[in-house]
Formats: sequence, structure tokens, C-alpha cells
Amino acid sequence: MTSLTTFYLSGILGKEAFGSDGDAIGRIRDLLVSAVPSGQNDPNQQIITGVKLKIGKEAKFYSFNAFRVSKARELINVTCTDLIELSKEEVDNGLLLDENILDKQIVDLNGRKLVRVNDVRLATLPTGTFAVAVDIGIEGLLRRIGISEPMKKLLSLFRINIPAKFILWDDVQAIDFSNFNIKLSKSYAKLQTLHPSDLADILEDLGKKSSTSVFSALDEEKAADVLEELETDAQIHIVESLPVGKVADVFEKMPADEVADILDELEDDKAELLLKEMEAESSQEVRELLEYDDDLVGSIMTTDYLSFSAAKTVDEVLRELRIKKPESAELYNMFVTEKDNRLIGTFNLRDLVVAEPDIKISSIMKSEPVSLLDDQKTTAIAEIVSKYNLLAVPVIDQNEQLQGMVVVDDVVEDLISERRTRKRK
Amino acid sequence: MAGIRIGINRRNIFRRLAIFFMILGPGIITGSVDNDAGGITTYSVAGALYGYGLIWTLIPSFIVLVVIQEMNARMGIVTGKGLADLIRENAGIKITVLIFLGLLFSGIGNTTTEFAGVAGSMEVFGVSKYISVPVVAVLVWVLVVKGTYKIAERIFLVFSVSLLTYVVSAIMGKPDWESIGSAIIRPKMEISTRSMAMVIGLVGTTIAPWMQFYMQSSVIEKGLKMKNYKYTLADIIVGCVITVVVAFFIMVACASTLHPNGIEINEAKDAALALKPLAGNLASQVFAFGLFIASIFSATILPLATAFFVCEAFGFEAGLDKKWDEAREFYILYTGILIISAIIILLPNAPLISISLWSQVINGVLLPVVLICMMILINKNKIMGTHVNGRATNIIGWTAVVVLVCLSAALLILPLFSI
Repeated sequence: MTSLTTFYLSGILGKEAFGSDGDAIGRIRDLLVSAVPSGQNDPNQQIITGVKLKIGKEAKFYSFNAFRVSKARELINVTCTDLIELSKEEVDNGLLLDENILDKQIVDLNGRKLVRVNDVRLATLPTGTFAVAVDIGIEGLLRRIGISEPMKKLLSLFRINIPAKFILWDDVQAIDFSNFNIKLSKSYAKLQTLHPSDLADILEDLGKKSSTSVFSALDEEKAADVLEELETDAQIHIVESLPVGKVADVFEKMPADEVADILDELEDDKAELLLKEMEAESSQEVRELLEYDDDLVGSIMTTDYLSFSAAKTVDEVLRELRIKKPESAELYNMFVTEKDNRLIGTFNLRDLVVAEPDIKISSIMKSEPVSLLDDQKTTAIAEIVSKYNLLAVPVIDQNEQLQGMVVVDDVVEDLISERRTRKRK
Repeated sequence: MAGIRIGINRRNIFRRLAIFFMILGPGIITGSVDNDAGGITTYSVAGALYGYGLIWTLIPSFIVLVVIQEMNARMGIVTGKGLADLIRENAGIKITVLIFLGLLFSGIGNTTTEFAGVAGSMEVFGVSKYISVPVVAVLVWVLVVKGTYKIAERIFLVFSVSLLTYVVSAIMGKPDWESIGSAIIRPKMEISTRSMAMVIGLVGTTIAPWMQFYMQSSVIEKGLKMKNYKYTLADIIVGCVITVVVAFFIMVACASTLHPNGIEINEAKDAALALKPLAGNLASQVFAFGLFIASIFSATILPLATAFFVCEAFGFEAGLDKKWDEAREFYILYTGILIISAIIILLPNAPLISISLWSQVINGVLLPVVLICMMILINKNKIMGTHVNGRATNIIGWTAVVVLVCLSAALLILPLFSI
């Protein structure tokens, strides 16, 4: 017996399955593949577990174990030795190739983008039938409308090849689970490996229903990073379509200035509801930022900054940093304040690293630091950032008390878009 | 569901106006692209041939236009997916291929008509088509590929306003308002293959298939929401009113001057030229200017939209923010449509009239197919949730489908009898 038969989903859908006595049993309507990834490189996660067979007028799911696919002279034959009906749970844990994959958008994990599936390539081995790859090329498209072979022959006269494009099943993440009750977090597990920016781009391109379900399957840390990266429209859509509790949990993991930016775009009632749901400490920071008008420095500053007393030693500060493990943006510029929170100096990581451990901060800091006022217009930021080559600028109020800092990451997009507003698709 | 609030204070009104202007756009731009060179030609010919006789067709066209675009907007807002996406995912590959091949061919045909408009209108000003067409084609390409969309959108809105020049040329022709009124109130239709074809042409040019895709995509692009639905609806209605009002004045301009003198025309350019001795040089130039603007306007949007929808349906990467290498199919399609259309116009003795006829035929066949898909999609709970069509919309929608199917069938069959 030959060990390998490869075929396409489009070739098997609608085919008649025959019993061992050669009688037709029913028509194949769909194939079921395991949807829950069980682990890396586990061949079982791409095995075909079931088949939707239409017998008479009724379509039911049967185990694929008793089915064999073989090919004789380019014709696909499906034989069946036994009909074992699948339980509802078994069906729910699977992914339907026709209903959820074919013609739908999937995430190409390798190329980190959304693609549309034209066909699915399958292979039968002695151990079972497996989904091998999805076809996203023009050839698949032509095969579906039944003109792949004639077109190939025609184009080969001109020595043109129709490009075939495949994505291995391991790199495929299905998106459309609309009919299923399976645990979403498990079924979207492969997406956790993507970078938040890539995930955000994919979410923006998805339909509304899918983007909500993909987002809610992410863990809170990842969700916070992704939400930060999304465009405003998409942010609002996500926030408005998820339960308040879930959004509040994600907000708590985000920098206060980003949360304030999103809340600014929401209706007042909704924003208030979310603020109440958040922990008091986080929501207080956000509330303070919300006080500022959109065009003021205060509206884009972050309140996550590091400040120390001038009397501390370099060693003490370094030890404090090791315990706190701050985000990298917080280390761009660190501040020295007096008891009343008045800003008297700044220092950066370099100053700290090159200094002897027992030296006082007061002797390495730059006094009379460059700073912004919280009620200054945001247009002033660009000049200061570029003139003094700063990665982060402290923000003070009229009483010279430190309020926060403006990080260059948060303004760089505005600086670019001021020059060039480019349509995103 | 929508409670009527009594006593809206002044601040509220400004807030509402602000929201309206923020989401203003998709409907108005779509409505304006609708009055493209093909549309202006059809309206002019109808006015010259039948006087005020066929103006009444604008009323049913308006109703159907509003209903269809409202459905597109609703589908876009609820699903966040383009019409091409929805059709591909729900209607199967064969219908998708059929629709988008049709869309591609009609896109080329229509763009050719736009370039014909550019050529014709510039000839009125004494500029040869061998200069105007290549220049405009390059300008359009650069504006779209190298320019920014926000600037393009602003320019488009200004374009829409300049379509009002047709009001000027209509009034300069001193129309007879009384007979216009009675022609609308008591619609008459002569039963002949020629006037039937004219009516089909009028409806077909007002409701073009690709506009449905365009409307839905721009609603998504703008990120509109269901809670601002009222404003979206207002935007659509304003857009449809612009379409119909401009069409009305074009017909009036030609009906009040060319019709009584028995002047027959084949092209919009002919109308501009014929206006010269009858309504003065200025009226003629204003008419030609309107045609020029409308042609560029549509020549910008049409090829871009067509390339985009074809890519969307077949899963090729598309979008102006992508580089040439990332979205090769998209750029090839877009550039290809522009170049092919421009070349057709520049061919000596190009069969312009049969090209515009054929693109109208493709439109006519395509429209009911797209509409039926839309009607099925928008009534699916799985897709639309609670926002499926109400009964009234369904009745108007399906009636429109039936009428359009009959009209398109007539359009296909009529030429067989007239030979």
C-alpha cells in the first residue's frame, strides 16, 4: 500500500463516501480537525478527527478513524468501514475546515498578517489523515473554480508559472470560531507568541466580532500592550464591546496616560463607570490626567516616573531600581526632588553607572533641569526634545512641583504625523 | 428604542453639528462620484432627447439609492467588514469570482468613460486629448499613490461643491419651471425601446454596483458607530440629494435649450458645445468645467476602489499604506486600470460609445447580483445580530431588486429587438 496520499479540501467536499461493500453512504460536507493545540510539534494537533456526512437529508458528525482517503488515477476515493457518531463535546473541540477555514481570514503566524484561505492541503498517512497546509495562492483560487489545469497548460505555453503559496498548518491560527463554545483562550493560544504591535495590526484588520473575541482571549498583560498599540477607533470598539470588569483589569496594567487618552474618547458615563471599576490608586492617577485639556502637556505626560532624594547614594538608588524593576521608559530620565516634591535636578542611567557607589546623588545630578509646565501647549515639546536631546522631559506645575514626565515615545508619533498624515489602508 | 428628547439646548445643537461634520463624508463623496462623466452624459442625452419628460425617474432612483446605501452603511458599522469580504465568506467562490470579474471589467469601462469626459471637456477649452488625458492620468496616479488620503478627501469635498456649477448652467438656459413641475407630478413614459433604454440607463448610472462596495468600506474607514447612526443616515441622505439635484439640473439645462431646438447629442461634450449658441459661451464653459471636475473626481476613486475590492475578495494585500512589494497585486491592478483606460481613449477612432454601452450592460447585470447578495447578507442574524433589515426596508429592497432585474433583463433583451 502506498504510504502517502495528498489531496485538497476542495477535492473532497461534496464527494460521496463509499462503504466497504462499495455502496454509497453519504456526501462529505466538512472535515473536523483538532482545534486545541496540545503542544509544539505534536502531529496529533493537525489530525482530522471527524467528518460531517450528509446521509439522506440529515448531516451528522462521524469519527474519521474509520475513513480512508485514497487516490487512483487522480481521482479521490473515500471509503468508510464504520460509522461512529461523535459526541457534541468532541465536535465542539474541533475546527471545521470548510466552515471556519476555507474562504475565511486566518493569521499567518510566520508572516504576522491576515490572509485569506483559498484551499486546504491534506495528506493521508498510515497513521491517519492530516491537515498539512493552507493554500493562499492564485493557483488555489483557480482550482476552486475548476480552471487550474487548463490555465496552467495555457500559461506554460508562455513559460509562465502560476505561483503557489502555502502556509504550514503549524503557522495557521484560525480566527472565525463563531459557531463554537470551545474555550477561546485555548484556541487562540498561538497568537500569544506574536508581538503586540503585530497583533494590534491584525486586530485592526479583523471584523468587529472577531477582533473582540481574539482580544478577550489574550491574557491581561498582553491585552494591555495590544490595547496601547491599537488605533483610536479600534481601541474604542474593544473597550465598548467588552465587559466593564475585564476592561478595568486591562486598564490597570496600562500606563495612566494611555488610559486617560482612551477615556477621553469615550462618553462621560462610560468613562466614569470604568474609573469606578478600577482600583482606587490607578483610577486616581488617570483622573488627574483627565483634568488637562487635549492640547496641554499634562494630557500626554505619564505619571510613572522615578524620583529620589538628593541625600541618597548611588548604591542605594541602584539597589532600589533592582527591587522595583521599572519599565525602560522610566529610566530615560530620573528626577531628584525635595520634601515638598519640588524638582531640583535630574540624572540618567549613565550618570548612575559611571559613578562610585558611595557618592551622593546631589553630586552627580544636573541641577536647574530643563522642564515643561503642565499647562503649556504640547507644541512646545518638540522644540525642547530636539534642542536638548532628551528622551524624557520632567513636567512641573506653577509651584515647581514635579507632576510627571513626557516620554519621547509618546510624542514621536505626533511629531511625525504633523508632517505627514498618511491614510492607514 | 430611540427616545425623542424634548428641549434640546443650544450647546447640544452645536455638539450635534460637530458630530455631523466629523462623520460627514462617505455618503456625500459617494453621492458625488455618482455624477461621473457617464452619469452626466446620460442625463444630458435624456434631457436633450425627452425634454422634461424623464425627470420623474429621479424620484424612485433617489428612494432606492438611499435604501441601498443605508444598508451598506449599516452592514459596515455592525460587522466592520467590507462587502467584498462578506460576499467571499458567505456566497462561495464562484459567485465571488463572477462578481469581481464583472466589477473589474466595468471598472475599466467606467474609468474609460471618465477619461472620455476629461478629453471632451478639455476640447471645449481647446486642449487636445493627447495632452489632457496623459496629464490627468499621471496627476491622478501621483495624487493617490504619493499623496495623503486626508488631502485627497478634502479635495473631493471641494469637488462635490463644484458640481453645483450645473445649477448655474441650468438657470442660464431659462427653464420653464411650470412644465418641469407638471412633468414630475404627472409622469409619462412613451413605450418604445429607445425610451425604455433611456430609463434603464438613467437608473443604472445613478445606482452603480461598485458604489455599494465603496460606501461600505468608507464607513469602516471612518470608524463610524451605531450610536451615531442618525448622522450617518443624514450624511447618506445629503449625498443622495446632491446626486439627484445635480442630475436634475443637468437634465433641465439640456431640456430647456437643446430639446426645443431638436438638437440630439451622443456625448456630454456635445451638450457643452451645443449650449454655446443657445445659452451663451459662459454656460457652455461652466458645463464643460463641471464635466471636467466630475471626470477627474471619479477617475481618482474608481480605479482605486476597484483594485481594492478585487484584492479584498481574493485575499491579496491592499492599501496605500503598503509598499509596492507588499501589495504588488493591488498596485498592478490600480495602475493597470488607469493605463488601459487612458490608452483606450487615446486610440484614434476608439469605439467610445460602444465601450460606455458595454460598461453599462455589465453594470446592469452586476447590480441585481450584488443587491441580492446584500439582501441575503443583511437578513442573516449570524452576521447582523439585532440589526437585520426591518420589514419596510426589506419590501423596498426586494422591490428594487425585482424592478432592477426586470430593467436589466430588458436592457439585455431590447437591443435584440431593435436590430
